Amino acid sequence: MKPSLSIIFFTVSSGAGLGLLALLALGDLLDQALPSDALMQGIAVALALVAAGLASSVLHLAKPANAWRAFSRFRTSWLSREAVFAACLFPVALAYGVLAWTAEGGALRALAALGVALLAWAVLVSTAMIYASLKPIRQWYSAWTPVNYLLLGHWSGAVLLLGLARAHAAHERSFGWLAGVLGVAALIAKIGQWRAITAGARDAPTLERAIGVPKYPNEYSNKYANKYANEGAQPPGMTMARARLFDVGHSHGTFLTDEFGFVLARRNAVALRIAALSAGFGVPAAWIASGATNAAVAWLAAIVCLAGLLAERWLFFAEAQHTVRLYHGAPRT
Amino acid sequence: MRLGLVIDLDTCVGCHACATACKEWNASSPVSGPLSDYEPFGAEPSGVWFNRVRHYELGEYPASKTINFPMSCMHCADADCVTVCPTGASYKRDDGIVLVDQDKCMGCNLCAWACPYGARELDTASGTMKKCTLCVDRINDELLPPEERQPACVLACPTHGRFFGDFDDPASEVSRLTAERGGFGLMPELGYAPVNQYLPPREPKTVIAASDVKALLERGLASLASPVIRR
Ligand code: SF4
Ligand code: SF4
Ligand code: SF4
Repeated sequence: MKPSLSIIFFTVSSGAGLGLLALLALGDLLDQALPSDALMQGIAVALALVAAGLASSVLHLAKPANAWRAFSRFRTSWLSREAVFAACLFPVALAYGVLAWTAEGGALRALAALGVALLAWAVLVSTAMIYASLKPIRQWYSAWTPVNYLLLGHWSGAVLLLGLARAHAAHERSFGWLAGVLGVAALIAKIGQWRAITAGARDAPTLERAIGVPKYPNEYSNKYANKYANEGAQPPGMTMARARLFDVGHSHGTFLTDEFGFVLARRNAVALRIAALSAGFGVPAAWIASGATNAAVAWLAAIVCLAGLLAERWLFFAEAQHTVRLYHGAPRT
Repeated sequence: MRLGLVIDLDTCVGCHACATACKEWNASSPVSGPLSDYEPFGAEPSGVWFNRVRHYELGEYPASKTINFPMSCMHCADADCVTVCPTGASYKRDDGIVLVDQDKCMGCNLCAWACPYGARELDTASGTMKKCTLCVDRINDELLPPEERQPACVLACPTHGRFFGDFDDPASEVSRLTAERGGFGLMPELGYAPVNQYLPPREPKTVIAASDVKALLERGLASLASPVIRR
């Protein structure tokens, strides 16, 4: 898939914002509330990240004038659900911010906190399900996708949260542990997804399968050709042969080659995985372990973490192979 | 009703007449025309097509065969392209035809991602998604003579390799051909229940004894061993 920068930025930025919101609200509910000025700052940063992400996602549309219609298919479309939940999140989060500002305790604030957490999760899950429900893309069509979106969003949110906690010297220990646990979980999920993608290559659909030639072991084709030449066996029909693209039929690029034709060089994939792991996990983990309370250092750690996750999300797109590629001659996805 | 096409891979010669006729008819279609062209007279012409013909080689030379493979929307019974659409622009009619309401589409591309067959193309000039309409503006047009109430691609095919009809009617030509010739849908394992069916190439008749093939090859007459010649 073409790594579209507007979507990559959107999912990383709003993912971190949503994770931060959910953790702030959850902390509040579990009696680990930040002092009200820190809480306000946190909500502001989180909403800014979500809003920047949503604005970026609109850039991806070819006809943004119709974007308002995206609220209309809540019952069937995950993209529509994402839009509806995101639109509900903002007023609830703002109300929660006001209650936090007035340092109001009580049931209302708890209710608002609960609403914020649930809506943040609903948006995160909806975003992930947009990708996880696409059957033609085997790298995405898996439970690993929502697990990754949820954990990576919460991990980057937890790094931001810990920065706030340290700057205000509140609950640093508990939020430090929280960030550590989420980081380990997110790392396991990420590596698990990469391994699942590699393992899935064994049963990946082939060009033969795409055009209706039944699947059989790959070595078969050469063996078959030799067998035919040497023994005069049955000539290949639609039921037994290896296929290759002879002519793609168009002279220059099309929407399909543009959107689905992206090929990632193996060398770049390895470099990007290393970058994603070291920036997305290594640097923030070192910062967590260091216990540094300096606000600038905390920001730096969070920004490096987000940059690493941008590389991760770029790979999420670049490594995804749509079945259309088979019809354009890819031997398998 | 389950309207769709049958495409005969045995007779298709890969001439692109269906694709060209489709482009010609639908360019001025009130349903989803125009089909924009980008740099039509430039160095790298490109544009929107509803129907594309690709060519594959099966087997290894000399035991190889060329298959010409036209693809357009399969008007899937379980069309995820409709389910994922957030605006309601993509919809499926009672007769099975899948269409895009050009006034509602916001050009998010999600339906094109959800289509395994590459049947949807974004028109960057209009900012909306375009796809085969099964020539809904021909097949229902009572001003056309009855024999012309067929998709443009079906009428254009010079080898009579394309058929249009209702797959829910077991007596229809498309149902009969599919049953008789072992028609198949593409990638059924993905669960889209594509309606369009492809008829496989017929088995070539062997006019040279199998035992002679090796001898022919040894004498360098490789092409005689190819299934196309052997027919
Ligand atoms: S072929 Fe693609 S565009 Fe057509 S109905 Fe099926 S999924 Fe939708
Ligand atoms: S591109 Fe248009 S038709 Fe396709 S999913 Fe988006 S809004 Fe619906
Ligand atoms: S049915 Fe009509 S729109 Fe569809 S491929 Fe044929 S000519 Fe094109």
